Amino acid sequence: MAHPAEHAIEETTTGLSHRKMLMWIFLGSDCMFFAALIATYMVYRGQSINGPYPIDIISVPITTISTFVLLCSSFAMVQALAATNRDDQRGIRIWLMATALLGAVFIGFQIFEFNAFKNEGLSLGTNLFGATFFTLTGFHGAHVTLGIIWLLGMFVLALKGRLGPATSLDVEIVGLYWHFVDIVWIIIFTLLYLIGGFDAGPAALPGG
Amino acid sequence: MSSSHQTEQGHHPSFKQYALVAVILFAITIVEFFAIYPDPDLIGAAKIPVLFILSAIKFAIVIMFYMHLKFDNRMFTILFLAGLALAFAVGIAVLGMFVALGGSPRAFASANAVPYEEGEHGAEHAKPTTVPLPTVPPAVTTPTESAAPDVDATTAPEPVAEPAGESGAAASMEIGTNGDALEFSASSLSAASGSSVTLTFTNGSSVNQHNWVLVQNGTKDAVATDGTSAGPGADWIKAGDERVVASSKLLDPRASEQVTFTAPAAGTYQFVCTFPGHNFTMFGDFEVK
Repeated sequence: MAHPAEHAIEETTTGLSHRKMLMWIFLGSDCMFFAALIATYMVYRGQSINGPYPIDIISVPITTISTFVLLCSSFAMVQALAATNRDDQRGIRIWLMATALLGAVFIGFQIFEFNAFKNEGLSLGTNLFGATFFTLTGFHGAHVTLGIIWLLGMFVLALKGRLGPATSLDVEIVGLYWHFVDIVWIIIFTLLYLIGGFDAGPAALPGG
Repeated sequence: MSSSHQTEQGHHPSFKQYALVAVILFAITIVEFFAIYPDPDLIGAAKIPVLFILSAIKFAIVIMFYMHLKFDNRMFTILFLAGLALAFAVGIAVLGMFVALGGSPRAFASANAVPYEEGEHGAEHAKPTTVPLPTVPPAVTTPTESAAPDVDATTAPEPVAEPAGESGAAASMEIGTNGDALEFSASSLSAASGSSVTLTFTNGSSVNQHNWVLVQNGTKDAVATDGTSAGPGADWIKAGDERVVASSKLLDPRASEQVTFTAPAAGTYQFVCTFPGHNFTMFGDFEVK
């Protein structure tokens, strides 16, 4: 969408903002990136020949809490955009900071989880579960971390009073990225925790 | 479209609607949680489609409302759904590739993998630490009952698959590997109960380390799994493993070792290489008569 002030100047052949379109194209391609990692996890699911296995270390209750935290951050993000559109400077700062903080809490949960797994003997090189689990959730965590940095940058702009209806596209684009990270986690949470979190040892291995 | 900002504003959900969306997302997550916890089999196999549908609903709600696709220009929806469709294609392609491999990616991988070398072994593998063998071409014998691939001049070739010797008698046999393949050169061996068996195991591989471990029938994978935890320093065999009847050391490529043991009580046993992953293809039966 084009905005009245500076962004209205953006004349494009489609009439759509190139920046927003670029973000959607990027998100579409990022779907493929995560699909490859998720499919790799699913291919090697249950193929580890030594532990720890998911059932030994995955804590579904703890991760459910961190999932709630991420959902809350998405809610805070839409409020930040709403505040931007109605030029509520205080609201912009509060909700942007809330989004970044909730994202940081999610990352805190992930660091706690990775550390606990390491202490239980699971590392990237322990088995196929470790390799595929850490690669997938690690890349997701990296996306969240990048989003937090981006949000903090927007927060600095908000402190300077540079965000408002005229620049709401800037907030909307970081919001798109942030919600995307959220929906990727919805998929990961379902597949790796709710469905795959109870996988045990190599009982179903072929060749034995 | 470059529809005016005001118009777009009118279509954006209100605080209440955003809050309602959040509540729905929370509610679905709670339903998912209690559908599988604390008893993951609460709803049995139905849980997978149920969880898929619930997470798809959450996914759709977020992109429609939080990401405004429901209110925004359709071009954005098309761009994103195109990426999503390609993502599904990527996922199906990856899964399909492995299903096409007979559904056993590990067996396929172990048969086709480029062998991994520990740093020091990599440098040394041309000079084995135990009995050096003359360089022989990889054995091409098919794994038959009595195949002994590399007939080494230093050991007297003996018929290997014959029930060797009477009780208390001495018997000697040989076994190797089918070149670099993760297979022993024989799929079965036999000996008479109580006989003193001298087995010469020759690692005919030019790249892989192997061992030869005689175990109770049906325990080869369990022994190998425990051996994986024991590590290479223990020759990939758990110390004091009661299922192990006899074993060689972990041999470097082209190395050979004589294993001497007394054939146990009559029955069927298995022999296996316990190097991680090899147990799925590298094993055979040992008949004691």
